[in-house]
Amino acid sequence: MVHAGHRVTDAHECSQLNELKVDMVGLNMLAGWTTNGDTIMIEQMPIFGGYTGGLEETAISDVATTLGSFALFSGNFHLDGPIHIRWNVTTAKETLQVAGHVAAAVDANTDLLLANQYYPGAGPCTEMCLLETATQAVTDTGSGREMLSGSAAAKGVVQDKTTGMEARIMGEAARAAAGMKISDLNEIIGKVLSIYEKGFVSPPQGKSFRECYDVKTVKPTAEYLAVYDGALKTLRDCGLDIKH
Amino acid sequence: MAATRPLTIGDVYDRFVKGKKVAESDWDYTILPTKLTELKEKYKLNFGNKFIPEDKQTINNLFAAGLEMLVETGYYCTDLGRVMNVTEEEVWEGIKKTPTKLIMGEGRDIARFYPRHGNSPVKPIIQGGPTGSPISEDIFTQVMQSYAQEGIVDTLVNGVMTTYEGHPAKTNTPYEIYATMSELRAVKEARVRAGRPGMGV
Repeated sequence: MVHAGHRVTDAHECSQLNELKVDMVGLNMLAGWTTNGDTIMIEQMPIFGGYTGGLEETAISDVATTLGSFALFSGNFHLDGPIHIRWNVTTAKETLQVAGHVAAAVDANTDLLLANQYYPGAGPCTEMCLLETATQAVTDTGSGREMLSGSAAAKGVVQDKTTGMEARIMGEAARAAAGMKISDLNEIIGKVLSIYEKGFVSPPQGKSFRECYDVKTVKPTAEYLAVYDGALKTLRDCGLDIKH
Repeated sequence: MAATRPLTIGDVYDRFVKGKKVAESDWDYTILPTKLTELKEKYKLNFGNKFIPEDKQTINNLFAAGLEMLVETGYYCTDLGRVMNVTEEEVWEGIKKTPTKLIMGEGRDIARFYPRHGNSPVKPIIQGGPTGSPISEDIFTQVMQSYAQEGIVDTLVNGVMTTYEGHPAKTNTPYEIYATMSELRAVKEARVRAGRPGMGV
């Protein structure tokens, strides 16, 4: 009989609670998944400016919760996602700093598998959205993460405001950044961030999937492809040798 | 002292049950921030304007601070209102038990998941998808296909289908379950349409 469920090679996701907290629903699901031999991803998105307070404090908490995913909750990989309490994005200066430092610290001291997720402020078909996504991809790649997961454009809260084009730039930026010198990446991140960060006050909402793609053929519009090309030019001007 | 074994989920639950009772507000507003501030000062952490650290001392001090945070503070269970503790040795046993290689998906469409270490020239796995964003029922398959068809994408992550047969997929209702199962079928169809039926999710 064919069923619709997950395979053991698909990730089963359990979320921790903010911060260094868990509930019984999580533990109960994990009891079943560990018994079944499922692949388990544990998620935790530390809030910069929340209970943990400042930059370094949030990073310390993030390292602790990352290790907790494996040592306490039998996770196979950890999905991070430092989020900014004011802008509700993962692409702000401080949240990029937390993610970059935490990944580098855990990566240098273990063989654990680390992922990060993407919540840009701007919506699809805007250059800001693509630049935010690319900048985080450069940070995550340079700091040694093994998986980039996204992207939840428009902060992940607006109906139908995500498309495959954002994942394309996430992947291409990662491919371009892989193997580059860390000092060069830090410079590139700073340059691109300075272009888009002023937009967090009122990020462009962008367009819905129906406006970005032909829904019948599932092909992106010429308008979105032009915006994408513009974002690539900006990234190249900032020093990222991104090809496509 | 050496650990008896890596912790199981049952071990964690047992420790919560026997753990110290603490008010959640004390955990959030006193215990957690006090310890984090103490560790920041102890390990002299200051990231400055760096996004990715370039010095080994910052990297290793941050790791040591995070490990100490986990061992000294433990975890809080919101349903039980109790704190469990773990030793450093148990943390390392848990890390040792964790697979360092995973395969996501099936057949020719698998993605191999293994440590990159530093900024390896090997690109990370690209997991494309709405990452939990709300997606309409009638275009769910097409949205997921838009990710699955991208050559740079290796695995998928779902959006959240907001209705099932027009009914809101509210938490703790049958429609939540119907919508979740429908998501899985739609993602499977999206993988097939993109010519990558074995792709991991």
